[in-house]
Amino acid sequence: MEVFQLLVSGISQGCVYGLIALGFVLIYKATEMVNFAQGDMMMLGAYVAFTYINLMELPFFWGLIATVLTMAFIGVLIERALLRPMIGEPPFAVLMITIGLGFILRAFAGAVWGSDTKAISNPFVGGVVRLGEVSIGFENLAIISGTAILCLVLYLFFRFTRLGIAMQAASQNQLAAYYVGIPVKRIYSLVWAMSAAIAAVAGVLVAPVSLVEPVMGFIGIKAFAAAIVGGFGSLPGAIVGGLIVGIVEQFAGLYLPTGFSDTSAYVILILMLFIRPEGIFATMQQKKV
Amino acid sequence: MSGVLLSTTDLSLSFGGVHAVRDVTFEVEEGEVYSIIGPNGAGKTSIFNLISRLYDVDRGNIEFEGESIIRTPPHNIARLGIARTFQNTELFEHETVLKNMLIGRHVHRKTSLLSELLFLPGVPKQELRFREIVEDVIDLLDLQSYRDQVIGSLPYGVRKMVEVARALCIQPKLLLLDEPSSGLNPEETEDVAFWIEDINQDFGATVIMVEHDMNLVSRASSRVMALADGAVLAVGSPEEIQNHPEVLRAYLGD
Amino acid sequence: MRFIFKTKYKQDVDLFKHNGQRFWYGLLVIAALIAPFSLDNFYVGELALVYIYAVAGIGLMLLVGYTGLVSLGHAAFLAIGAYVHAYLLSRGWPFPLSLFSAGLFTAIVGAIVGLPAMRMTGIYLAIATLAFAIIVEQVIAHWESVTGGYRGMLVPDAAIFGIDISDGRPFYYLCLFVTIACLLAGLNILRGPTGRAMIGIRDSEISAQSMGIDLARTKSIAFALSAGFTGLAGGLFAHKLGYLAPDAFTLLMSIQLLLMVVVGGLGSMHGVFFGAIFIGMLPQGIAMMRDTLPAAVGQLPGLEPGIFGLILVLFLIYEPLGIYGRWRKIRQFFDEFPLYRKATHKRQKSYLRTERVR
Repeated sequence: MEVFQLLVSGISQGCVYGLIALGFVLIYKATEMVNFAQGDMMMLGAYVAFTYINLMELPFFWGLIATVLTMAFIGVLIERALLRPMIGEPPFAVLMITIGLGFILRAFAGAVWGSDTKAISNPFVGGVVRLGEVSIGFENLAIISGTAILCLVLYLFFRFTRLGIAMQAASQNQLAAYYVGIPVKRIYSLVWAMSAAIAAVAGVLVAPVSLVEPVMGFIGIKAFAAAIVGGFGSLPGAIVGGLIVGIVEQFAGLYLPTGFSDTSAYVILILMLFIRPEGIFATMQQKKV
Repeated sequence: MSGVLLSTTDLSLSFGGVHAVRDVTFEVEEGEVYSIIGPNGAGKTSIFNLISRLYDVDRGNIEFEGESIIRTPPHNIARLGIARTFQNTELFEHETVLKNMLIGRHVHRKTSLLSELLFLPGVPKQELRFREIVEDVIDLLDLQSYRDQVIGSLPYGVRKMVEVARALCIQPKLLLLDEPSSGLNPEETEDVAFWIEDINQDFGATVIMVEHDMNLVSRASSRVMALADGAVLAVGSPEEIQNHPEVLRAYLGD
Repeated sequence: MRFIFKTKYKQDVDLFKHNGQRFWYGLLVIAALIAPFSLDNFYVGELALVYIYAVAGIGLMLLVGYTGLVSLGHAAFLAIGAYVHAYLLSRGWPFPLSLFSAGLFTAIVGAIVGLPAMRMTGIYLAIATLAFAIIVEQVIAHWESVTGGYRGMLVPDAAIFGIDISDGRPFYYLCLFVTIACLLAGLNILRGPTGRAMIGIRDSEISAQSMGIDLARTKSIAFALSAGFTGLAGGLFAHKLGYLAPDAFTLLMSIQLLLMVVVGGLGSMHGVFFGAIFIGMLPQGIAMMRDTLPAAVGQLPGLEPGIFGLILVLFLIYEPLGIYGRWRKIRQFFDEFPLYRKATHKRQKSYLRTERVR
C-alpha cells in the first residue's frame, strides 16, 4: 500500500533527521552549546567514508569503523581549535562560530573532493525485503536498524556509566563541576567526538539514499526542527522528533500541492515553537531569583 | 497613621510537592518598615516573587491599595507603584549607572514611538525631567562618583546600592528589598540602616524587607514577621519576635 | 586625551559629546557628499551598496546588538522590502511612496514575526527566524503571479522630479540620504525610553519586567523597527540588483548580514558602518586574492562562503568586540600611553549556571 510505503520512507528519513538531531542534543546537553554545523559534520563523515570505501577500497564495514574513528578524532580537533576558546562566552557567539564552521567545512569538502556528487559503494544496493505487497529497501532497513542500535548504545552509556552523569554535571554548572574534580574540558572533547561519530554514522547510512555533495548538510536545519519538536535537552526526544518530522513530510508530499512538503518541516518547527517550545520531552525550568 | 497598603490573604504557592508558601496572611501599613525573617527556604523571596508577579499564586489573594493584583501582568506592577530589588543583583550589566537608573523612569514616560523616532521636542524635555529625578536619588544614596561607570566595573557594595537606586527611580509607594545587607561588611550594613531610614522618611516609601541580619532588622523595622517552612510563625515588634519561643525553635532547633 | 566637562544635563542627551566629534563627523559627511565627483563610477556604485548594507545593518543591530534577539533570517526582510517596492513601482506608485510603503509593510511583517518572540528565548528564536526566512523564500518562489517565481522580476526604473535615481550618482545620493536618515532615527530611538527598554531586555529580562517594561510590546517594536529599516534597505537593494530572484536572498545573505554586525562590533552603530564597509569590500578582496592563489584553491565555487566562515571564526575567537572594539582599544592605547593596560579589556568569562533554568 502506498501509505505503508510512505510510512517506511518517513521513518527512514526520520531516522536520519533523528541521528543528526541526536548529535545536536548531545552537545547541547553536555555543553549548552548549539552546533549549527552538525549537518555539515554528517557531510564530512560521508566524504571520509567515500575516501575509505571507494578511493582506498576498504570493505564496507571496516570503512565504516575507520570513518567513525576518524570523525571522532576530527570532532576533538574541532572542539580544541574552535570551541575550547569559547567556553564561558555568550551562547550567541558560540552559535555564530558553529555557523562559520559550517561554511569552512563546506568549502573544505568542495576543495578536497570536488563539488560534483559522489556515491559510496555499499552492500545495500538493490536488495529488498518483502512483507506481503510491501517492499522495504535494504538501505532503509539499514538506516532504521543502525539508528536503533546507536540509540541503545547511548542509552546504556548514559544510564550506567559515571561518564554520563559527569557530563550532565558539567552542563549544568561548569565551575562547580571543576571544583568537584570533573575534567570538564576532557568531557567536552569526548562529547564532540561522540557527536562527530554519530554524524559520521548518519552520513554513511544516508549516502545510499541521497547524494553525497558538499551541501548535503543542509538537512541539518530540518534536524533542528526535529530536536525542537522532541525537546532540546532530550535524547529520546531527538529521535522521536525526527520520526515525526520525517513522517509528516512524506504525507505532506502526498496530500498537499508540490512545494509544500519542502516547507512542512519548517512549518512544524514554527507551530511547535508557538504551542510548546520546550518540546515533547521538556527539560526547561524557571530561574529562581 | 494611615491605612493598609499591602495585604495578603491565605497566600499559597507550591513547586511540585514543595510548599514554598502556605496560607500566609499579613498586612503592611502605609509608611512602616516591615521585615520578613526566617531560615533559608522559608518562602521569603517566594512571597516577593508573588507580589511582583514573577510567579502566579496557587491560592489566596494579594491586595495593593485595596485592589487585587494576583492577575496583574508583571510589567504593570511597577506602574502601580511597587518596586523591588533582587537577592543576586539583576542589573543591566553593560550599561552605566545613569542608564540603569533612567530605565527606572520607564513607567513615567509619556512619549510615543513616533515622537521618539523623530526626537520631537517632547522627548528631550522628558529626558531632562527624568534626569532631575534620577539626580535626586543619586544625591540620596551618594552615588555621584559612579554615574558614568559601567556596572560591570563596580564593586559589590556599590552594585547593591545601584540596585536600590534604580528601584527608587520608579518613585514607588512600596519598596521590596530582598536581603539588602547580604554580602556586605558591618560598615556597609550600618549604611544600609541609614538609607533605609532615609528612604522611609525622606522619600516616603513603605518598605518590606527580607533580611537575615537581626541587628539591621531591630534597628530599621517597625514590625517583623517570622516565617518557617512557608508558614507564618509570628508577627510583632523586633523585640517580641527575637524572644518568641517558636521563632527561636525554628532557628536554633529544639 | 580629551576630558569632557559637563555643565548641563542636555549634554548627556545630545548625539555629539563635544565639538571635536561634530567636526570629524561633519568632515566625514562632506567627504561622502563629494565622493562621486572624485571616484570612478564603479566605486560610486560600490559605496552605494555599502550604504544599503549599512541601513540593513542598522536594523539588524537594533535587534541583535541592542535587544539581544538573534535573527538568522534577516535576508527575508530584505527580500520582502525589495519585492514590495518593485511591485508597487510596477503598479505606477511614485517612488518615495513606494519605498516608504515597502519599509512600512516589512515593519508590520516584522511585528507579526515578533509576536511569538515573547515566548521564545535565545536559540529557539534564532531557529524560528531561520524557519521564517526559508518559508519566505519558498513563498516568493511559488507565488508566481506576484513575484515571478524563479523566473524573476524586473525592477522598474524610478525617478524623482524627472531625475532617474535608479543608477549612478543620483542613486548614490539617494542611498546616502536614506542611510543618514535611518542612522538618526536609530540613534534617536536609542537615546529615548524605548531604546533603553530594548537594552534592558538584552541585559536582564526579569529586572526589565520589574521596572515596568512590557517585554512583549518592546520585543515586537524591536522586530518592527528592525524589519522596517531592513525593508527600506531592500527597496534600495532592488534597484542595485535591477532584477529580483529568490536566490539573491538566501541563508548566505542572512549570515552575511550577521557577519556584518558581529565583525563590525556588536552593540554600537559604529559597528554597523565598519561592518558594512567590510562586507562591501570583501568580494573585491576575495577576487584579488583569487588571482594570487594556486588555481586549485582560487577557482573554488565555495571559496567566498568559506572565507566568510573563516573570518567569522577568527573574529569571534580573537576579537569578539569586532572592528569597532579594536578601534576603541587602539584609541585608548594612544590616549593612555604609556599607561595602557591590556587587562582593561580582558574578557569576562561567565561560567554560567545552565541557561536552561531561566
